Amino acid sequence: MAEEKNSKQRHHRSMLLDSMYPVVALMLVLVACVELCDAATVVDVYRLIQYDISGVPFGSRFSSLNHHAASLSFQHGADLSRSVLILPLRELDIAFVQDYISQKQSLGGLLILLPQTFRPGYIGGGETQEGLRVLLAQLEKLLLHTNIPFPVYFAFENEETDAMLADVKKNDALGQQATATTGGYKLVISVSEPRKIASPTITNIQGWLPGSRADGDSNQLPTIAVVASYDTFGAAPALSVGSDSNGSGVVALLEVARLFSTLYSNPKTRGRYNLLFALTSGGPYNYEGTQKWLKSLDQRMRESIDYAICLNSVGSWDNELLVHVSKPPENAYIKQIFEGFSNVAGDLGFQVSLKHKKINISNSRVAWEHEQFSRLRVTAATVSELLTPPELLESAGSLSDTRQHVNEDSIIKGVKLVAESLARHIYGHQGKDIQIFADNSSLAVNRFYVKSWLDSLSQTPRVAPFLSKNEPLIMALKKELEDYTAEVSIQQESLDGIFTFYDSTKASLNIYQVASVTFDLLLLLVLGSYLIMLFSFLVITTRGLDDLISIFRRPPSRKMKIV
Amino acid sequence: MTLFHFFNCAILTFGPHAVYYSATPLSEYDTLGTSVKAAVVYLATALVKLVCLATFLQVSETEVFDPYQEALKAMIGFIDVAGLYFALAQLTHRNISQNHKFQAVGLGWAFADSVLHRLAPLWVGARGLEFTWDYVLQGLEANANLVFTISLAALGSLMWLRKNKPKTLIPIIYTCAVIIATMPSITSYLRRVMGWHFPKVVGFELMTSLVMAFISCQLFILCQRPSL
Repeated sequence: MAEEKNSKQRHHRSMLLDSMYPVVALMLVLVACVELCDAATVVDVYRLIQYDISGVPFGSRFSSLNHHAASLSFQHGADLSRSVLILPLRELDIAFVQDYISQKQSLGGLLILLPQTFRPGYIGGGETQEGLRVLLAQLEKLLLHTNIPFPVYFAFENEETDAMLADVKKNDALGQQATATTGGYKLVISVSEPRKIASPTITNIQGWLPGSRADGDSNQLPTIAVVASYDTFGAAPALSVGSDSNGSGVVALLEVARLFSTLYSNPKTRGRYNLLFALTSGGPYNYEGTQKWLKSLDQRMRESIDYAICLNSVGSWDNELLVHVSKPPENAYIKQIFEGFSNVAGDLGFQVSLKHKKINISNSRVAWEHEQFSRLRVTAATVSELLTPPELLESAGSLSDTRQHVNEDSIIKGVKLVAESLARHIYGHQGKDIQIFADNSSLAVNRFYVKSWLDSLSQTPRVAPFLSKNEPLIMALKKELEDYTAEVSIQQESLDGIFTFYDSTKASLNIYQVASVTFDLLLLLVLGSYLIMLFSFLVITTRGLDDLISIFRRPPSRKMKIV
Repeated sequence: MTLFHFFNCAILTFGPHAVYYSATPLSEYDTLGTSVKAAVVYLATALVKLVCLATFLQVSETEVFDPYQEALKAMIGFIDVAGLYFALAQLTHRNISQNHKFQAVGLGWAFADSVLHRLAPLWVGARGLEFTWDYVLQGLEANANLVFTISLAALGSLMWLRKNKPKTLIPIIYTCAVIIATMPSITSYLRRVMGWHFPKVVGFELMTSLVMAFISCQLFILCQRPSL
């Protein structure tokens, strides 16, 4: 009987153990769970671009960050190689940053705080001071053309960062720099190391609006092209919205396309010219997209292009718009185009000027988009507000190029200029005082259309290597052109050549308030003494003082009863 | 804030229980079984309380002090007392003196309470990088809870296990027991209506626990005299 009982007991126990296994396994899983990131503050940060030109590295080469925060009030000679320097733009000293970088001093990281007015999609009022914009442009130029061996991030100021910065400044002023033993703030960005983008694609979108052919093929009709490049390049690719360069150009192109599609929809008003609208990519990289697009065009088509108008930055000008050409101004075609523009401009109340810049065949730098046309013997001109051609990778959508500084009226005036002069040329009304796209007519320039597309583009970063093949922006532009033109085609090429890009453009910064190791040790000491006191107190009250002393005289053995 | 901090808070929360067990004669009389049984009874009580709370209480979105809800919570709190009664009176323990029985039961009860309510937040929260005082305060609260539970167990054993008590002391015993049993309601009242912050509440708990312990100790000693 006892044996039966024993075996039953054993059976019960084994069953209990078996049922415990899944519970134990679950507990182990829970225990091994990744630590929950309960940071006090999480901030969106945007990394400085990392790229190579022919193998020469530029930009910030690292992305992950795990250091203490330091501010500008650090003591001279302090070692910042394990700290992240927090620089608000308002207090930035360009010379200091330049010194720091050129002397190749080691730094854990750099966090630049920008005022909220630079955020894409910022609706609130408040004009940014011109000084800040200039400073930001200078900073960008400095950072873009240097090889920086530590992570550089941009973030927008908010209350939490302000509070943290004030705290860090206070601590630094007192001389207690944050390290592992003195506590403070710890900034952690945990992302994987940046990798090369394997084969970045550039996507060109073209829309074809055929004219009316009297007798014979429409292919023999001459073509006029309107081109704008839509992609951008800037210090922080996730913030490169390029409202003026070249969001304004894209919006102007779309509006011109809309106006002409209205005209061409009616066979009676369809002109004897085909219209070709192209949104090209690869603008900042010597207009590589435009070149590839042109080469992909049928030779007959290319030869049928009468002339091309390229739009570049038409968003913030007042009285004067410039027409840049590469053929000499005495050329008959150039004269004709420019006269058309000046007549319309005169009617509309502003001025256009002609600027001639010769192409240097030996120099691979392509300053304006029309130069790519000229290299293939197509007459072209660029309409722009810029006086001088931008340098390589400049004025292509920097951080200071925000929506607030683009004026819809300028774009509307630009649209009127291009549309009217094109229409007068197509319908043969040069020199006549006719307004085809008059205000308050059915062909008026739609202000709301311009505004809504401008707003939307000013919130979309458009750096070409980071756009996927089916990016929503590209699909949207394609759909828009499909509404206005008869045939739309997309050309996707890979961006080869001298540029290499690296990913990891956006991250989340966790800001932790940490206590130092000394604090932990102190706490351990206090708790240890508390427990010892508690132990002694309990022994004294329940067993008597002699027992306490006897515990320390001999090794404690609880099994032995003290007689 | 790293494992170091977790370790510190853990010894603050669970250390006193172990110290209590080893320092008092409980360890000599090997009353571990009693404590374990008390812990199991606490688990069962906690389950019953959960079910009752889920059935009868409405979840309010804001932290408004609703007297009706609080009264209901206090009622459900008395299930605790019922559980303690069960652990003290109904379970058969080895032949240990009353003096040690209530201590062992109280210890097991308080330990189960600490583990159930405080271990999970400690494990999940104290290991992160961010530093807060919350877990240290939680540990102090666990200490206060230990003292409360042992006092309640003492008063409980006086109420249910001792037959002859001086008549004058009986109402005092019952009031003290009621006060201790409704401690959770009192703290939630303080936190919501009076707007006390956590450190202040914990300080209050510690002080009252010491006061209550002293009172129950005195009562116990007074009640012990006639039986001698």
